[in-house]
Amino acid sequence: MIDVMQHLPILLVAIPILMAAVMIMLRSHPKLQNILNVTVSIVLLLMSIQLLFHVWDNGIQVYEVGEWGKYGILLVADLLGSSMVLLSSGISLMALIYSLDYIQEHSLSSTYHSLFNLMIAGLNGTFLTGDLFNMFVFFEILLLSSCALVVSQGKGGHTKTSDKMEATFKYLILNMIGSIVMLIAVASLYATLGTLNMADIAVKISALSQSGTLPWHLFMIAPLFIIVFGNKAAIFPMHYWLPDVHPSAPSPISAMLSGVMIKVGVYGVLRVCFLIFPDALFLLKPMIIFLALATIIVGAISAIGQNDVKRLLAYSSISQVGYIFLGIGMGTALTITASLVYLVNHAIAKSMLFLTSGSIIHHAGTRDMTKMGGMIQSAPLMSSAFLIGAMSISGLPPMGGFIAKFMLFDAGILDQYYIPVAIALLFAVLTLFYMFRAWLRMFWGEERDFVEHGEYRAQNTSLYVSIPIILLAAAVIALGLYAEPLIVLSQAITDQLLDPQPYIDAVLTRGVR
Amino acid sequence: MTTIITKTVTKICIPLIILFSISLLLAGHNNPGGGFIGGVMFVAVIALTYVVFGLKKMKTVFDPHWEKWFAFGLILASITAFTPMIYGHNFFRSAVHFVDLPLFGEIELVSAGLFDIGVYFVVIGSLLFIFKNVGDDE
Repeated sequence: MIDVMQHLPILLVAIPILMAAVMIMLRSHPKLQNILNVTVSIVLLLMSIQLLFHVWDNGIQVYEVGEWGKYGILLVADLLGSSMVLLSSGISLMALIYSLDYIQEHSLSSTYHSLFNLMIAGLNGTFLTGDLFNMFVFFEILLLSSCALVVSQGKGGHTKTSDKMEATFKYLILNMIGSIVMLIAVASLYATLGTLNMADIAVKISALSQSGTLPWHLFMIAPLFIIVFGNKAAIFPMHYWLPDVHPSAPSPISAMLSGVMIKVGVYGVLRVCFLIFPDALFLLKPMIIFLALATIIVGAISAIGQNDVKRLLAYSSISQVGYIFLGIGMGTALTITASLVYLVNHAIAKSMLFLTSGSIIHHAGTRDMTKMGGMIQSAPLMSSAFLIGAMSISGLPPMGGFIAKFMLFDAGILDQYYIPVAIALLFAVLTLFYMFRAWLRMFWGEERDFVEHGEYRAQNTSLYVSIPIILLAAAVIALGLYAEPLIVLSQAITDQLLDPQPYIDAVLTRGVR
Repeated sequence: MTTIITKTVTKICIPLIILFSISLLLAGHNNPGGGFIGGVMFVAVIALTYVVFGLKKMKTVFDPHWEKWFAFGLILASITAFTPMIYGHNFFRSAVHFVDLPLFGEIELVSAGLFDIGVYFVVIGSLLFIFKNVGDDE
């Protein structure tokens, strides 16, 4: 019988790809598609939990695809990779359950399920691969599948198809340019060092720098990777595609894009900068801090001016990613731990907010916050969920966001980064302002003018919509009240990141089968 | 495009090019060729008939669901990749077997060949699905 534990890393990538094909075959059986896809997502979630525990107990797991040894394709599951897989599997299960009710039947049965599976395969592959070129390939899978998912239409059609097309065009072109830059960076690394295996690259670069013969252009390649991953994560000069794409996607896809997809950029920076370029960090850290602060400022200021609820959330995502990068840029053990905690909290809270905003838009029949008001009477579940999310994003005490922000600022002050922390703290107040202003505008105050804007849609929230929102909201509160496991996990991840030797040993010194 | 000459030439070309694409597919793995190239060759000839005879007429003769071909290819390729796990090997491990046939001599049977056939169908299905839908768009 198949030893599942041994094959976990590849199963997490291969099962979604197989399912993508099966879903095309089942196009004429929508019910079966729904049941099968949810079942597979639950199985993937269980497997990713298993993988995390396995890695926690037994150290880094390396999987050779095709048994080609060191020169073949390697999957490496370390703590960072496997916990990112767990995060993405959890959020994608929630988004999938939500989309069963939210996406139009026509688009749901024809392409949605198979593209969704391809997207999960791309995400899991990016997090688990041990090889730079494969990371590029999985980025492409991720880009193309998510691009098609942005076009799929939710029920009610509150987004014009022309807007979707414009957003998709921007997304596709800008990310293609990002991919080309990544290809150039990977190719120049390969031309210099003759290997694509990340652990091997790390060994060779450290050997070169110890003998003092590090070629100067390696210091150019490192910022190229910052451009690539920064483009994925939408940090400051490359952020302008995000506020078009995330709002025009249907809500479950917005949740995936904002919750997990921009974290792929963060993952890439953590992986590449700390594993491959530890010698170039003195150059990268000030750069990342500067870009992160610019991102925080631009995102927060732009968010204040928004009337569209999903656009507001998208700008808030930009600003929050700035905080995550700030912690990475400061680059000590404490700040990286803090930004990992921040990453998890933001992923869960922001995907919950996007799912909630989908229901709010559905309920009100418009995306314009100026045309909403007094909805707390007619949509109590949505208003409390949005409040929980807003509190977490702006960092108020009982929620997970508070722990994250507190740890980040505390660590920054301990490491004497006073000015960046001061700027970040100032704009954290703006976060509080724009999140709560949105909540007040939508849920409190007078009910809107029924003659002009029409009645609110009668409340019949289905279980498919409410269960994911309630579960994610519970997770937000749980991470605030009992943050200890997450903090311990983040500390362990940070230890692995700052000391890449176990990773290199696990990849390069294995018994050859 | 639809002169009698092109029509006649196309009719002659169809079986030749299809056979050539299959030979490219089977030549793969060790020699130049393989699933992708063979698939593109097959797509080229079907696309040629679409252009020469017109999409409407071709649909009355021969109108498969190309997306099903795509799905079939992907499933075949994935199953080829999954099979080694049952035998206790890693994902994608390939197996080689030599068979002596009376007339052909020794033939090399590679499990990667099945993967190539999967790729062949994926390429045919995806390219022709796009080609047909874009051509269909009024």
